[in-house]
Amino acid sequence: MPDADLLMPDVDFAYDDVPDLHERIVQLRQNGPVVPVRYHGDRTWLILDHELVKQAFEDYDHFDPAPGYQQIAAPSMGQTIQTMSGDEHRISRGLVTAPFLPSKIRSLVEDLIEPIANELLDRVAGKEVVDLVSTFTRPYPFMVITRLLGIPVEDEERMLEWAIKMIDFPWDPDGAVRAKEQFQAYMQTIIDDRRANPTGDFMSMLVQAEYEGERLSDERILGFVGLLFPAGSDTTYKNAGSLFACVLADPALRERALRSPRDRELIVTESLRWQPPTAFLPRMASNDVELGNVQIRKGEWTLFGITAANADPKVYPDPHRFDPDRDNRDILTFGRSKHFCLGMHLARRELETALRLVFERFPHMVLEKGEPVEFVGAVLRGPRALHVRPYGQREDQN
Amino acid sequence: MRVTFFDINGAAQHVEGRAGENAMECAKRNAIDGIIGECGGAMACATCHAYVDPRWIARLDPPEHQERDMIDGCIDVRPESRLTCQVILEDALDGIVFTVPDSQV
Repeated sequence: MPDADLLMPDVDFAYDDVPDLHERIVQLRQNGPVVPVRYHGDRTWLILDHELVKQAFEDYDHFDPAPGYQQIAAPSMGQTIQTMSGDEHRISRGLVTAPFLPSKIRSLVEDLIEPIANELLDRVAGKEVVDLVSTFTRPYPFMVITRLLGIPVEDEERMLEWAIKMIDFPWDPDGAVRAKEQFQAYMQTIIDDRRANPTGDFMSMLVQAEYEGERLSDERILGFVGLLFPAGSDTTYKNAGSLFACVLADPALRERALRSPRDRELIVTESLRWQPPTAFLPRMASNDVELGNVQIRKGEWTLFGITAANADPKVYPDPHRFDPDRDNRDILTFGRSKHFCLGMHLARRELETALRLVFERFPHMVLEKGEPVEFVGAVLRGPRALHVRPYGQREDQN
Repeated sequence: MRVTFFDINGAAQHVEGRAGENAMECAKRNAIDGIIGECGGAMACATCHAYVDPRWIARLDPPEHQERDMIDGCIDVRPESRLTCQVILEDALDGIVFTVPDSQV
């Protein structure tokens, strides 16, 4: 394909940090609702308009996600609900949905999520300056998954290494496939144990699940639990960082974060709108389609511009203002339609719990002066680091 | 056609429904608080749960099993619980009444 019409040809959205992503989106939007940009070196259609991103998510005739994910995810992740479509997807999703529904997730807050958050915040306690990303937001959703899966604490470290490597397939195919094999060999022992001695935990629910007469094979369970890390950990930690960057920068928001569960829901939702952890979501066109006055051919890659859609001024007036009270019911952060993020409730409860506990325990926490927060990444996006003083500025303590 | 949404404290909002749209879309179009419907009506998010007034239950087709499974995982479920995205408004439902639960989560 010709590159002559590429916009911002100096930027590759797969590799570059793009700290000024929001400003670039504003510029790109002036060229139309669907624009050609560079991604992994190639010309790729970026969809910017809220209505069109929503439409593409809902259009399984032209944007069936399965064929694309077969190419980029299946080799290292195996067959998962991400790589399936039609009845196969519906049944496979039906088999794993129950543990992610609101009532089940609500019960996890006290039993699982709060203790993990507190354990990690113990490592923040007593420190003068600390990076909240590496100390708290990054390990937090990861540990929620490992403990949900019944992985012993001493194995969390190597689990983290495999999980990071497994989604590196587009960048390091051999390493990703090797990590998958190691991860699956490890998880197989837990599956075997729960098949023999179900305990009622998350893995027991998976091995016992039945939907329309179907059950989950070991292969499907392995694929699914492997998907939990990239889908549930890498995303949530990025958003947790963005959330704290925002709230720490605004005393009114911090005060509101301690007010009520409803206030925390609204603040978290606005952070999910403003800085979605999956900024641009790669999707391959599964058929020829015309979208926003451009012709997209079957097999061409597009980027669903979630951050752009969530900042579309037609839907979100003054989109760069952080306003928890706006109507955020149609944000596209968790996708849309049948492949809508299964872990949405878990992610939200993790974020709301983090927001409450951080400011209950460290009500004077401030961003460290002279350490500006830099948001990086156009696929997965969040702050690189968040240097904070848990007990406030030194003069405040005296 | 008229559609009424009560909040959990009994305050009513009467809105105009359009035949063919679902009750979740109707609620969102009319800014009814507490109906979110973030997945857009695919029974994938469980955030458009509401209680159908018992007098109207018999006029609706019972939920299919996918909807039933999602409802089972909602908060404060009652026998008259439905996902509003699965209730298609039609003339026979003119006057239907819903109560929005205290929380979807």
